[in-house]
Amino acid sequence: MSEVKKTIVVTRFDPDKDEVPKTQSYEIPVQDDWKVLEALNYIKDNVDPTLSHRWSCRMAVCGSCGMNVNGEPKLTCKDPISSYGDTIEVAPLANFPVVRDLVVELEGFMDKFKAVKPWIIAAKERAAEEGTHRQSPDELADFKSFSMCINCMLCYSACPVVSNEPDFLGPAALALGHRYNQDSRDEGADERNEIFRDEGGIFSCSYANECTEVCPKGVNPSGAIQQAKLNNVVDWAKSFVVPRRKSS
Amino acid sequence: MTHAVPRVDAMKPSKPGPTRTAPPRPPDKFPGGGRYPAYLAFGACGAFLMISASLLTRGIWALGNGEAAWDAYRAGLGHPAYLVYHVAAFLGLTWFVLRLFRLFPATQPYRIGPLKRPPDAVLVAGLYGLFFTVLAVGTLFLGGAML
Repeated sequence: MSEVKKTIVVTRFDPDKDEVPKTQSYEIPVQDDWKVLEALNYIKDNVDPTLSHRWSCRMAVCGSCGMNVNGEPKLTCKDPISSYGDTIEVAPLANFPVVRDLVVELEGFMDKFKAVKPWIIAAKERAAEEGTHRQSPDELADFKSFSMCINCMLCYSACPVVSNEPDFLGPAALALGHRYNQDSRDEGADERNEIFRDEGGIFSCSYANECTEVCPKGVNPSGAIQQAKLNNVVDWAKSFVVPRRKSS
Repeated sequence: MTHAVPRVDAMKPSKPGPTRTAPPRPPDKFPGGGRYPAYLAFGACGAFLMISASLLTRGIWALGNGEAAWDAYRAGLGHPAYLVYHVAAFLGLTWFVLRLFRLFPATQPYRIGPLKRPPDAVLVAGLYGLFFTVLAVGTLFLGGAML
């Protein structure tokens, strides 16, 4: 395996010392089959143990290692280092407050996530003797792609609306809400659609499509949001003809 | 209004955490780099849609007010300012539909009503077919060939 030297320019921020983030360069030997995360781990293990970054599974499943690489939100464990030149800039995800170095504050994301009620809402509890809830392959296909989200938050980092509308629930949360609305076992669409139509909901999305472009799992959040917009418009139009069911 | 500096409260938690944080940065390439200019141009084409819809509404009003009103409307469209606008609107709307039609298939659900969604190529061909039909009918209508 060939080894070359590359310069990794990393954004550093120490909340105890720094007023604003700064950058620090590390020239390190890298192997051409490395991912960007392996270069960061090399720095942490061999050059500068004070570097802080999040990672866990190393196989694009846990969603921990999202960062901006050369200005583009990337899952660093999936991002080949060979696709960049001699200098690679690694920064924390845009649109998020920075806790330290490459680590961002997640609580704002979790607040938005919970707001869309991402769980099955059933009008009544299913009795055990009724057996398991059966779902056809077609019913599963209605939402399966939206359930592939790993909460890596790259979509929030790329979205220009998130930068400017703090109330915007954002791509991953709205796609997840839509996922449950499409689930044949769920009966909470009316509740979620009220949240969707509210300030910061689906109609705040201006269809930049950046979320779908950067999603490492092919979830297509912007597609989910556009579908939810259409569903809500149809639901609104229907309400003039058919009286709306009262939410539980 | 979109601007390049993010609000410091973007993705801010509802309750502040124990650690001081640095404010969020905007997406690195916004607004002039990467795919963002195409998105901004797409949004800006909304102006053409709005003005063209107003012109169309005025045309329908003229059509309902007799031949003299309709002829005056058509003559008005021949004004040099309108001609310049028409060229700009045609280019803008063509750009708009090209991007919209590229993105459209990905927004379609697995099933449309009771039917499975058609292949993307069929969807895109249908959209282009509709676009060129509307364009041809509009041109013939405003050119006087259909009245």
